[in-house]
Amino acid sequence: MTFGVFRAAAAALAVACLGQAALAQSIEEKAQVCAGCHGEAGKPTDKAYPTIWGQNQGYLYLQLRDFKLGNRKNEIMNGIAKDLPREDMMALAEYFSQKKWVNLDQPRASEADVKRSETAITSGQCGACHGADGIGAGTTPRITGQSHDYLLKTMEDFRSKARANNPWMSDILGTLQPEDLQALANFYAGR
Amino acid sequence: MVSKLRQSLATLAFTLSAGLMASGAAHSQEIKAASKWGDMNTVTQDLLNRAAGDGNNFLHTNGNYSQTRYYPNRQINVSNVGKLRPAWIFQTEVKESLETSPIVVNGVMYVTTSFNHVYALDARTGEELWHYKHKMGPITVYCCGPNNRGVAVYGDMVFMATLDAKLVALDAKTGKQVWEQEIADPELGYSETMAPTAVDGKILIGTNGGEYGIRGFVKAFDAKTGKNLWTFHTIPENSVGVWATKDATGRDMHRNIDAEKAQLAKTGDPFKTLGGGVWQNPAVDLETRRIYFVVGNPSPDLDGSLRPGDNLYTDSLVSVNLDTGQYVCHFQYIAHDVWDLDSVSPPIITTVADKDGKPIKGILHAGKTGHVYVHDAKDCSLVRFSEAMVPQENMWTLPTKEGARMLPGANGGVEWSPMAINPNLGLTYAINLHQPMTYHVESSNYPAGKLWLGGAFKVIPSEEQWGNVSAVDYNTGKIRWQVKTAQPMIGGILATAGGLVFTGEANGMFKAYDAETGATLWKFQAGAGVNAPPSSYTVDGKQYVVVGAGGNTQIDYKRGNSIIAFTTAD
Repeated sequence: MTFGVFRAAAAALAVACLGQAALAQSIEEKAQVCAGCHGEAGKPTDKAYPTIWGQNQGYLYLQLRDFKLGNRKNEIMNGIAKDLPREDMMALAEYFSQKKWVNLDQPRASEADVKRSETAITSGQCGACHGADGIGAGTTPRITGQSHDYLLKTMEDFRSKARANNPWMSDILGTLQPEDLQALANFYAGR
Repeated sequence: MVSKLRQSLATLAFTLSAGLMASGAAHSQEIKAASKWGDMNTVTQDLLNRAAGDGNNFLHTNGNYSQTRYYPNRQINVSNVGKLRPAWIFQTEVKESLETSPIVVNGVMYVTTSFNHVYALDARTGEELWHYKHKMGPITVYCCGPNNRGVAVYGDMVFMATLDAKLVALDAKTGKQVWEQEIADPELGYSETMAPTAVDGKILIGTNGGEYGIRGFVKAFDAKTGKNLWTFHTIPENSVGVWATKDATGRDMHRNIDAEKAQLAKTGDPFKTLGGGVWQNPAVDLETRRIYFVVGNPSPDLDGSLRPGDNLYTDSLVSVNLDTGQYVCHFQYIAHDVWDLDSVSPPIITTVADKDGKPIKGILHAGKTGHVYVHDAKDCSLVRFSEAMVPQENMWTLPTKEGARMLPGANGGVEWSPMAINPNLGLTYAINLHQPMTYHVESSNYPAGKLWLGGAFKVIPSEEQWGNVSAVDYNTGKIRWQVKTAQPMIGGILATAGGLVFTGEANGMFKAYDAETGATLWKFQAGAGVNAPPSSYTVDGKQYVVVGAGGNTQIDYKRGNSIIAFTTAD
């Protein structure tokens, strides 16, 4: 099974689950569909998937909104968000934001990566939005402790504009070097 | 949950015992004679009007309606400032960027923190009287840190605007919320970090969002009810202007007017998403019933291709009628700005010499360009501009995809930091940044309320950064004195009748300068970036100077959570 086929199957499954979820009463039940990828206990089932437990509510809501509008592309998520009303997106975002962030036990970055990251953070002014500790707030995501592979892919996607729902991230990452992205992923994942 | 229960029990116990004590003490409280000046806990309009001469309180974010930040008490002065010592230190719950201007009313101080906490403190001791924590909505968008610059006071209430674009009114005695009003929809990129201005029963407020494709405004709300009284859109429906090719100083901005006209014909006026935030308080002229404020950059910041025209009234000084919000006059510093070198520092009303040397009512504004601009208050026209306070290089080189180096960098010059003046010396004091940057342009469509810069400005890591404190003669435009600082400066400044100028630095130093010469007369290490405007007040006959030391998010200075009050050692 190629990854593409797997993804299509997963998307079909998720959308099927959503049909059931839509009938459900509680937000906990609606959130069950998310556990398949983002984890039963907050640890994603694959390194490519982001941690959403403990993520900031405003950010989660905006991502669901953008998946729904098609401004952010992801077959599975576009399918899931397609029919979600605003109140459900906001409630799901609130539900996950109130969960405890799970430590993925990722290794700390090397001294060289820390140094490289600090330069990149200064010139890119990352702290202005993500905060000095990288935990963000409101509509800015927590990046500290996020899955390394997801962080790196996200930055690469912003840079190539494969992910196009935040032009500023594309613009600022476009001014950095690919090695900077690697260092930043190591740095924030391992903090 | 357990600790919450314990807290509730403790609160209940305290309330009960306080109630018992109060019943015993009630009589003595009731017969307490009123002071000659009445109960000054109520902030009357007259008290606010007279703030410039009030040597006890600090009633406005920038000292008084003219925003001079010139404090009239001279008890702390050039001869005794060396004896200035901390009187108390209050630590807030929030260790994050601190930009608050402490407000002091009859011995009670109001300070705010990042994420919209408000504290009332005993200004004599720093003891906490109450603490209000805003219940933040889920949507907050802010380009430059979760800052808040303070409260406004009026009647028996204090007012704060919040990151989720609400205006809240609190009971000044208890900190309990009286009303809350939505200023604008945060999902569209609106947020608030400025302090409101209270005048004649109105609460005036601008908006952030020039980095998010908003349509900026100044709004007036009823102080008692929160009802919106008027709205002035900083972006008119016809934002095209006169196709100006030169900036306020006469330099060519390299606009491609033909291309802009073609774009205008194709896509129409871009006013709906053109930005134009108002970051700082208006100066209020009660004589003419006008207010003066500056409008920030157009959206998207660096990409002019999507927004043909002068982009009125971005990067401008604007005056409107205080009672109606009707337009009076404007002056645009940079038409069709593509560098984010906009107008942020709050304007000051003072008497200035016109071109013939005659005294007129003038308006001062310090730009991110590094100039102090001097205007005629009558029609907003430019009288003069000062020498540049920071290096300017390659102005106005257009941003490129690869990045074009130009000085000043996009933070200025003078950022949001308010100036202060000494009217007796005819000097205005400004703090500046020198941060070399490259300007990158990258076109993208309006992203529905998300950060939209149309590119990036990037600090050049290999180049030295620094700052300065500059004293500018506003009657000539000449720099009288200048002191270089180790880091770029952001925060604010206070001048006093004691011949002093107070301001803080990123490295934690808080300093007093001789207003006339720039000599450093006193300094104190606060332990975190002093990036907030200082205030001064007098209580029980003793003058204090107070400042927040909490660092700064925008340029990543060491965070802290201290409010530090100083007074002279006996």
